[in-house]
Amino acid sequence: MGYGSTIKVPFGPQHPALKEPANFIFDVDGDIVVGIKPRIGYNHRGMEKAFELRTYLQNVYLAERICGICSDAHATAYVQGVEELLGAEVPPRAKYIRVIVAELERLHSHSLWVGVAAHEIGFDTLFMYLWRDREAVMNLLELISGNRVHYAMNTIGGVRRDIPADLIPKIKQALDFLEERTKYYLNMVKTEQTILKRTVGVGVLPPKDAVDLCAVGPTLRASGIKNDVRADDPYAAYGEIPFNVITHDQGDVFSRMLVRVEEMLESVNMTRYALDHMPAGMIRVKVPMAVPKGEAVSRVEAPRGELIHYAKSNGTTKLERYKVRSPTLGNIPAVCKTLMGGHLADVPIILAGIDPCFSCMDRMAFVDVKTSKHWVWTTQELKRHTSK
Amino acid sequence: MKAFDWARTKSPWVIHFNTGGCNGCDIELVAALTPGFDVERFGILLEGSPRHADILAVTGPVTSQVKDRLVRIYEQMPEPKHVVAIGACALSGAPFKDCYCVHGGIDTILPVDAYVPGCPPKPEAIIDGIAKLIGKLKKGEEVGKGT
Amino acid sequence: MEKEHEIIDKLQQFLKEDVLETKVPRDRRVFVSIRPEALKKAVGFLVNDLEFKHLSTITGSDLGEDLELIYHLAYKGSIELSVKTTIPKNNPSVPTITDAIPGAVLYEREVHDLLGVVFEGHPDLSPLILPEDWPQGVYPLRKEEKFEELRKIGSK
Repeated sequence: MGYGSTIKVPFGPQHPALKEPANFIFDVDGDIVVGIKPRIGYNHRGMEKAFELRTYLQNVYLAERICGICSDAHATAYVQGVEELLGAEVPPRAKYIRVIVAELERLHSHSLWVGVAAHEIGFDTLFMYLWRDREAVMNLLELISGNRVHYAMNTIGGVRRDIPADLIPKIKQALDFLEERTKYYLNMVKTEQTILKRTVGVGVLPPKDAVDLCAVGPTLRASGIKNDVRADDPYAAYGEIPFNVITHDQGDVFSRMLVRVEEMLESVNMTRYALDHMPAGMIRVKVPMAVPKGEAVSRVEAPRGELIHYAKSNGTTKLERYKVRSPTLGNIPAVCKTLMGGHLADVPIILAGIDPCFSCMDRMAFVDVKTSKHWVWTTQELKRHTSK
Repeated sequence: MKAFDWARTKSPWVIHFNTGGCNGCDIELVAALTPGFDVERFGILLEGSPRHADILAVTGPVTSQVKDRLVRIYEQMPEPKHVVAIGACALSGAPFKDCYCVHGGIDTILPVDAYVPGCPPKPEAIIDGIAKLIGKLKKGEEVGKGT
Repeated sequence: MEKEHEIIDKLQQFLKEDVLETKVPRDRRVFVSIRPEALKKAVGFLVNDLEFKHLSTITGSDLGEDLELIYHLAYKGSIELSVKTTIPKNNPSVPTITDAIPGAVLYEREVHDLLGVVFEGHPDLSPLILPEDWPQGVYPLRKEEKFEELRKIGSK
């Protein structure tokens, strides 16, 4: 990774002089990217310290809000870590419900992403179709949990709401619809020239680099590496639910797209299986407020990849230390590698390819190595420039 | 529907800005554009440039990194301009209120004309909030903090 | 838990008295504490010989007088080994592991930002997540940095 100058001078009438935080600083030689330096922090809120201020139960609320798209993944990782510290045994029914909510979240997240990727390519019709169909998942999540985002299903010791038997036919009906639509989109992705031209062979990440740079999730699996926390380090009820780990081996943005769409089909099957095999019984156990001294590492396969939380308790009702590493951070070194030597025009779709958090990736600073000109663009400005 | 009243006259252009939230509100705001909710039928357009926008729809608890940019975007908007704070974070900072690096609430930085509570508010609530603001503007009513 | 104990045995054979403590709290979780001098050697061995090729993240914690670093490594995505080492707060420095694991580059920057640990040999330890105008020498995750003070800095 090349590290260019960190002096950025804003450019143009929309950015009067003042420092502008950017998430990537690109060194460019004409139209080619010759160096990249990540400098994230747009969203830095200081949450790890905030975790130490609140009780264990209050932190469930905070953990969900680390991210609005994979909020359940963070909540699951959090409660699992605390349950391990407590030695609490979560009831089997709760584990199945956790899987159902997690897979529905994966469905909403992946379909959101395909829509966003389509928008990046300029294929807005597909974006609209996908987000319309995605509403079927949002409605399911609302039906089950009472909210479309931040479902608050998880609690320490189990889940807060049951999935009653009379909901199941509705859920299955929606799953049938989603499966049919996803198959349609899979076919479209594989055959639509607009998509193929902008994604095949673009942003290639060779398997060795994917491993050396510690990539995760669909980005890793699109380079042929068969790692998925649900299969390798099973949690909740994943150990009892059959599914395929999807990989593709071209390592380009197209492969990342295929992995996600095919994972959506797997998620539909897994949700159906979980609904059919959900054991009867309690949905939560009571747990004490103080947690004995200890430490736990909790891993979850969030839609974007391996999510890892580390919890350290000190015998009180509050945490000693809490560490969160989101999957997007894990993919930044890999995405930087794929951007090197590429064209400016491909930057938005390659960045989108790792499925980053929306706001994190919208600002980029550039340094032209030949003329030493510096400027800052939003993604829109970059696209406007490169589509000339 | 009241919405049709103001759709007939001027259609407001809205610029959206996230000040460091979890993206929950932003996704619901984008969802408002999509066929399920279709905010464009009210004439509301999501604009890219502050120079053409009437309304600034802000989400997030205002991280230190982003504060200057938020102010700058507001300054670039032509008068008359208005601010809608969307989501609990934008209202007060919500769960991040006591984090370092977080200001807490848009109205600590900018004058806010409408508040849409929720975590996140549903797309219907967001549209309703913007529509209410527009309704008041059309009637020439006073808008300000606490509306 | 066979594989987990096998890993501990191999590490102990290789590092000998540089291994201070070990524990296997459950399936697929191993914790090993080592001396900081043995860090580079240990990581090299784990990556090349024991196939712990994936670094999930690096956790930094403030223990009071010392800082603790935990390197979370995964074996085939499955067994998560947490290698812990402790360094003095008044001289918090360890060698970088980015030569053995290029993917460590941002995790080391993050620990540097929030705790002030210096990773010798790191290509570029410039700030990763703290705001542009954050004062030098203020490390938010250190226990002596109190919320009230940090909030004052953050809300300027």
